[in-house]
Amino acid sequence: MKFATSTALAMLLAAPAFSATDAAGAPDKASVLETYADIALAGYEDSLSTAKALQEAVEALIAEPSEETLAAAREAWLVSRNPYQQTEVFRFGNPIVDDWEGKVNAWPLDEGLIDYVSEEYEGPTDENEYAALNIIATPQATIAGQEVDASEITPELIADTLNEADGIETNVARGYHAIEFLLWGQDLNGTEPGAGERPYTDYATGDDCTGGNCDRRADYLKAATTLLVSDLEEMVAAWGADGEARGAVLEDENAGITAMLTGMGSLSYGEQAGERMRLGLMLNDPEEEHDCFSDNTHNSHFYDGKGIQNVYLGSYTRVDGSTVEGASLSELVAATDLALDDEMKTKLDTTMTALGAIKEAAEGGFAYDQMLAIGDEKGEELIMGGVNGLIDQTRTVERIVGALDLSGVAFEGSDSLDNPDAVFQ
Amino acid sequence: MRYSLMLCACLAASPAMAGIEEALTDHILPGFAGFSTAADALAVTAEADCSPDALRAPWNAAFDAWTEIGDVRMGPSETGALSVSFWPDARGFTPKTLRRLISSEEEVGTDPTAFADVSIAARGLFALEQMLYDADFDDYAPGSYACTLVQTATADLASQAQALEAGWRDGYSAVLRSAGAEGNSAFLSEQEAMTALYTQVLSSLEFTADSRLGRPLGTFERPRPTRAEAWRSGRSLRNVLLYAEAAEEMAMALSDGEMPQTEAAMQRLRDAAEKVSDPSLQDIEDPSARLRVEIVQQNVRALSGYIEQELGVPLGLTAGFNSQDGD
Repeated sequence: MKFATSTALAMLLAAPAFSATDAAGAPDKASVLETYADIALAGYEDSLSTAKALQEAVEALIAEPSEETLAAAREAWLVSRNPYQQTEVFRFGNPIVDDWEGKVNAWPLDEGLIDYVSEEYEGPTDENEYAALNIIATPQATIAGQEVDASEITPELIADTLNEADGIETNVARGYHAIEFLLWGQDLNGTEPGAGERPYTDYATGDDCTGGNCDRRADYLKAATTLLVSDLEEMVAAWGADGEARGAVLEDENAGITAMLTGMGSLSYGEQAGERMRLGLMLNDPEEEHDCFSDNTHNSHFYDGKGIQNVYLGSYTRVDGSTVEGASLSELVAATDLALDDEMKTKLDTTMTALGAIKEAAEGGFAYDQMLAIGDEKGEELIMGGVNGLIDQTRTVERIVGALDLSGVAFEGSDSLDNPDAVFQ
Repeated sequence: MRYSLMLCACLAASPAMAGIEEALTDHILPGFAGFSTAADALAVTAEADCSPDALRAPWNAAFDAWTEIGDVRMGPSETGALSVSFWPDARGFTPKTLRRLISSEEEVGTDPTAFADVSIAARGLFALEQMLYDADFDDYAPGSYACTLVQTATADLASQAQALEAGWRDGYSAVLRSAGAEGNSAFLSEQEAMTALYTQVLSSLEFTADSRLGRPLGTFERPRPTRAEAWRSGRSLRNVLLYAEAAEEMAMALSDGEMPQTEAAMQRLRDAAEKVSDPSLQDIEDPSARLRVEIVQQNVRALSGYIEQELGVPLGLTAGFNSQDGD
């Protein structure tokens, strides 16, 4: 019978599509890892395309400084942050990303290294002699005993000499936050609303120039943006078809799945809940805001959380609205323990609701700075809602590590944890 | 707080795995009680005499007591420990905040209750260290604002210690003891509670190796002595040892067997520490002094490795995430 044959044929042809799933309906680990790498690639591609748009906007600002061109450059920066933040979850667990990340997203920074700051700014500190160096105003500098010729501000000068000068991590000379500072300037409103108010005339020529050295400031902004674009190109390549980061993840299935869970857990707990959110709240210091110059912290936290959820659900919505999706960690967990998968999804939702509430409050006029103010109970409640959600979801990530058979693999983070034998060598 | 809501469901549970109970009764609960007593003694002394001379001894006693349980970062301590022990302070928040309070004589510095809302940079053991040992702060007169600030900070520390003790004794210990019982959503099994406690042990040793020792060691070309923990009071090395001893003690409590290699490793760590020339690690620009501190660091890591072998492996425990996993 003709149709029977063709049905059989159709089933044979369709077979490869089902090979990614075993009898219990679980996707195989390799497919889950493919999705993970595809989401990473798409996230870095989106970060790159929006960084290129930022680069164009910066060039327009420098060519013709005005309220409008400055506003457009700031808007382009804000747009570029959202896809990037969703890639932060790839950092922990993937050494290739973690080693590179400091070039684009290092924080916090002693911004006085780069440009002028207010008089209240603490000058050189115990930890950092160069916290107030102001390289834009200093064509010839001495850093850690070395003469530095900064007469021309180039990507090389920033990358090779200024960034982490004197081995100090807060000497952040490149990346999103350096650019953010050059577009917004310091936020001098304390725990009151309002972002940095750098005037566009900081990039004006001749007598209109404010803040001094406008041409050098423009050179700096241009060079830092160029570096951001080339750094992101590197990461897009790393996750491409033959990329090193993709290869590392696919090489060993259990190690790859562990990397996914490590990224989710480490970003949730130590980094976002601890370092970025709770510590800032407990210090009541608006400089502890993650995107402090632009007052974009609510989005920064929200999209960090979103990235964690994307990895679990195996789905990422790109900046053009299209979706990258495939076999997911969620499906893998569900095939082992349906209740555990539900628990993870519920907790991720709870966190996103809490981070969404912070975002909504900030967009409604209750700035993240204000939430950090001493004794501001509403702000504390909002921020701790996010913190508690993130801590709670970490516990479930740990349960998943236990439930999936990932034997022989330990977490990133410590020599002794990664390799107990290392300490006996 | 979340864990207190679970209390009623937990109390009826069966007794927990031996290790959990022993970690609580032999180590954690007496540790918090001891810290509370010591912090209270510090506050009482400060009430009578706020001078650095009078307070250094009871402050050190309080810090010693804190090291017993200071690296346990779960339950009430998850957030509560941060305002007792804010370190490292990479951006100098502690001196900056203290200077601001003192120069404008902010009223909040005179009211122990209101002080609970102040930045953690101005609270706890490290803010007090700055007041009692740093030349920029320690010359305050009796009756001055700074004197009152010290009294306020010690009173605040005493109430924090009391709250932590109560939180553990009356709340969170029941959550641990009822691990695996119905209604306990924090620990679905005893294994989860054991893992959580085991994680505290290894995290503490990791933090000691990477931060307490790693921060001042920096690189060979560029050591950073003033990044040592509590160097002003000369406690840097003492803290390394006390925290390691506390971690070892908790590991032994959790274990159901002997841990001879762990004990031997702890002894080697003590021996290595004895050879360190400056207990505040301020001489590590000298290569041989540096080497002696590096050996201490290696011994801390080795101790951690033996605990994994003698406790983690036999009980099938793998450390979970810890709060130092960020950067």
